[in-house]
Amino acid sequence: MNVGIEHYITISALLFSIGFFGVLLRKNTLVIYMCLELMLNACNLGLVAFSRYHGGMSGSVFVFFIITVAAAEVAVGLAIIVALFRKRQTVQVGELNALKG
Amino acid sequence: MPTELYNTLSQTAATNNWALIYPELILGCLALGLLVLEVILPKFSHGVIPRIAILGQLLLLGYILVFDRTGCTHGVAFGGMIELTQTAQVLRVFFLIASIFVCYLAMVSFENKTLARIEYFAITLVITGALSLMAMSNHFVMLFVALETATVGFYILVSYFRQNALSLEAGLKYLIMGALSSAILLFGIVLLYGAASNPALASSSQDSMNFDNLHAFLAANSTDRVALIGMILVIAGIAFKIGAFPFQVWVPDVYQGAPLSTTALLAVSSKAAGFAILITLVEVFAPLSAWLVPLLSGVACLTILFGNFAALTQRNLKRVIGLSGVSHAGFLLIGVIAAQAVPQATAWVLFYLFAYLLGSMAVFGSLVHLPKAADAELELDDLGDLAKKNGFLGFALTVGIGSLAGIPPLAGFIGKFLLFVAAFKAELYALLAVAIVGVVVSIYYYFGVIKGAFFEIWRFQDDEEATPSETAQPGDLLTWLGRLTIGFALVGSIVLGVFQGPVGAWLGGW
Repeated sequence: MNVGIEHYITISALLFSIGFFGVLLRKNTLVIYMCLELMLNACNLGLVAFSRYHGGMSGSVFVFFIITVAAAEVAVGLAIIVALFRKRQTVQVGELNALKG
Repeated sequence: MPTELYNTLSQTAATNNWALIYPELILGCLALGLLVLEVILPKFSHGVIPRIAILGQLLLLGYILVFDRTGCTHGVAFGGMIELTQTAQVLRVFFLIASIFVCYLAMVSFENKTLARIEYFAITLVITGALSLMAMSNHFVMLFVALETATVGFYILVSYFRQNALSLEAGLKYLIMGALSSAILLFGIVLLYGAASNPALASSSQDSMNFDNLHAFLAANSTDRVALIGMILVIAGIAFKIGAFPFQVWVPDVYQGAPLSTTALLAVSSKAAGFAILITLVEVFAPLSAWLVPLLSGVACLTILFGNFAALTQRNLKRVIGLSGVSHAGFLLIGVIAAQAVPQATAWVLFYLFAYLLGSMAVFGSLVHLPKAADAELELDDLGDLAKKNGFLGFALTVGIGSLAGIPPLAGFIGKFLLFVAAFKAELYALLAVAIVGVVVSIYYYFGVIKGAFFEIWRFQDDEEATPSETAQPGDLLTWLGRLTIGFALVGSIVLGVFQGPVGAWLGGW
């Protein structure tokens, strides 16, 4: 079987959907956070595949920016989750519902 | 090959024009300078650092307004990453004014708190720089990096009161929703890049994330399905930033839990940046307008209706402001749609943003001086008689709310009027009807706030111990700086309502 660009893009879209529905449906904040990372990495896969098959470099370079941004996001995000856990002793989304109206 | 690569790189480097982004460079340096000052100044003089932040920004703002009102050199720079336009220059001034004001709010609300506070000002400055780079971006990489710089900064600012569970919860909600929307935006960019870099299609380009190249591609392939899905995902990501339906769910919770100064920054700067990029992208996506216009129109209708009707039942002040901000996003969307048919509408959107900035400044400026200011539980009833206890703050709140509601002699009225004229000229009659219904409904909750400020709420007086409202009066921390800041918002809201000439000419609308 010949692996073509459509296979990469299908996998990328699939990973993105798994991440997206994971964010919407999972209850644990840390799992939600992993799903968000999965979505970003699905984008990376898509960019690299398009870049390779269409013969441009800008997609591959963009991936480095995304990885950097994702790292910054994780640093801040985990800090918030840890601070919230210390305060409330839970990371379940269902129990973090003090703000509503 | 290496020499070829070297030549390409040096050609690109020749387009670097650092003078073009001097305000952002100065903001960045100022932010770092504040952190250095925190280390070298003795602890008791740390109070001066926020003042340095405000002063530095005021000097920068003054320089831009006096010598550089229209942008020194228009045009594309940094290898097509950045394009400075008149709109971007206007928004740069907008972000600076908003940032100065937010620094003032933060200075007041941190007065009696034991918190690391210098970082707040440094991050605010960085966010402001990132937002104005975002308004100038002409390439998806630039857009994404600037957007994420601002968004990650906002995560920190929203959860800044880290001893407060509500602030942290708001931070977590903003984090999850913000990261989700960034990922959706990013996947849209990937699809657009993939479609527009396909060598098999007409007008494809190696550098297809550049807006000009993308526009050329879309003009040649206006029915490409991958590009269409990409566009919808990108618009969805932006809709989240401006708080448009159906991506508005985070707005009330985050606005309520965040510190008041952060709420102001989110409500004003973040929203304006979203519209800045939307104005640019609507031009880029113009060949797909057969899909884009119905999509944006539907979003605008639902946003106006949702924002106004959801605000009706709220008692919490910050939630009311958040939901009213949602409906303002709907009105602005009408202007953005109309801009496709009516060229002046872009300037009118900018005018509306300025009116919204001044109105919000007056409202937030008076709220921050309430005794419970930083509290997420600030209810309409807590305004209790503000006008009698402190006439200046009561007046400021009334004018600000009046301007947001669009009461005739104030700036907000002219802003709404111009957008309605734009909608009428562009023949968007259905949208116009929905917008007018929205305005009528909004009067109800806006007047609820004014009523709270003018009439005493009757309470049982049976508890003997002093409640906070008896020990601390509204306006205790009101200094000359505060009077100046709030006064500026007041005068601006009134003057822009009756006399728009020079500002209008600057915005380029009439």
